[in-house]
Amino acid sequence: MGATFIVTLREAFEAALVLGIIYSYLEKVGAHDGVRYLTRGGLLGLLASVAMGIGVSYLSGPLLDIGPDLITLVVIFAAVGLLTWHAWWMQQYARLIKGQVQHRIDEARASNRLWVVGLIAFTSVFREGAETVLFLWGIVSEEGGAGWGSLVGGVAGIVGAAALGWTVFRGGQRLSLQRFFSVTTVFIMLLGAGLLSRGIGRMQGMGLLPFSEPVWNTSWLLSDGSIAGGFLSGLVGYRAQPTLPEVVAYLAYVVVVGMLLFVRRAPAAVGVASPSRS
Amino acid sequence: MKRYVALMIVLAMAVGLVGVAAAADAEVPLVLEKNRWQPDVVKVKAGVPFVLVITNKDKGPEELDMLSPRIEKVIPAGKTVRLKMPALKPGKYPFVGEYHSETAKATIVAE
Repeated sequence: MGATFIVTLREAFEAALVLGIIYSYLEKVGAHDGVRYLTRGGLLGLLASVAMGIGVSYLSGPLLDIGPDLITLVVIFAAVGLLTWHAWWMQQYARLIKGQVQHRIDEARASNRLWVVGLIAFTSVFREGAETVLFLWGIVSEEGGAGWGSLVGGVAGIVGAAALGWTVFRGGQRLSLQRFFSVTTVFIMLLGAGLLSRGIGRMQGMGLLPFSEPVWNTSWLLSDGSIAGGFLSGLVGYRAQPTLPEVVAYLAYVVVVGMLLFVRRAPAAVGVASPSRS
Repeated sequence: MKRYVALMIVLAMAVGLVGVAAAADAEVPLVLEKNRWQPDVVKVKAGVPFVLVITNKDKGPEELDMLSPRIEKVIPAGKTVRLKMPALKPGKYPFVGEYHSETAKATIVAE
């Protein structure tokens, strides 16, 4: 029971964190109508996960051989793009409201991108969702009836992850807007870097990119299979045995997106936006 | 018309190439039964790509999880999946069935 608890907690917590952050973000900027999109996106992701979990079992031949992998790959890269976009937008918004007495939402701008919020929720849930559905299914179909105790553990793991997301949501409410934005932007950036490198790794595993040996191995320190390793993998993309393309993708993402998010651009723009008089 | 013929030739060559590539890759069987991999030591030739033909004889799905090369592959209950593997350097490549990682442990040994 404990083992399955950990597995589903690990699979679900990444989605829970992302959802918690975005709920908190929508709440903070007052985009209450965005909450609906987020919830719908999440629910659709859940439905799609169940559908995929069932669907995979009916596939066969070449469709089964590569179909699910390709879908996973598309979802991973879509999630990278969406999260990056979201981080960028949050950063823009943070600059916009800097110095304003009342941080009221710019409704027009917000409503333009609410569907993106829905998409983020969808990809976050769907990415590990199908796997979690299959995992739970595997438990239930276990012979000998030992499966139900494990199923309780598995479901408890998902509930635990949801509680974690809720905690993030509550915590996010307490932070100041500035701090909330900077903390979550960094978090989303690392998440995006980890996802990108994971996608590259998957492409290597699928033979779409040439396979290469790991450049180092820190399994002795922190293995991917351990609980801490698993959580760090979800949070910041930790890998005990990364390949060179994975490392390069990770670093390139952090550098490029980090510059995009944190380095002020053209001096003229700074002049306008700079709160130097305050 | 000429273009059409050229396209057909290219297509035929592509299909032929894929066929040759598929035919050239040795098939290595792997079975999952009672949440265990059989055999639990899979010997393959180093330096040549191969195809793992994985059959899941259990009632539940399983996911083959390997760290290097990075592979996560679901094998639904009662199904057979053909998994293309890259050429491996001589060495040991452990993997687990993620849904039953206590029992479903095995290693590919490339020699």
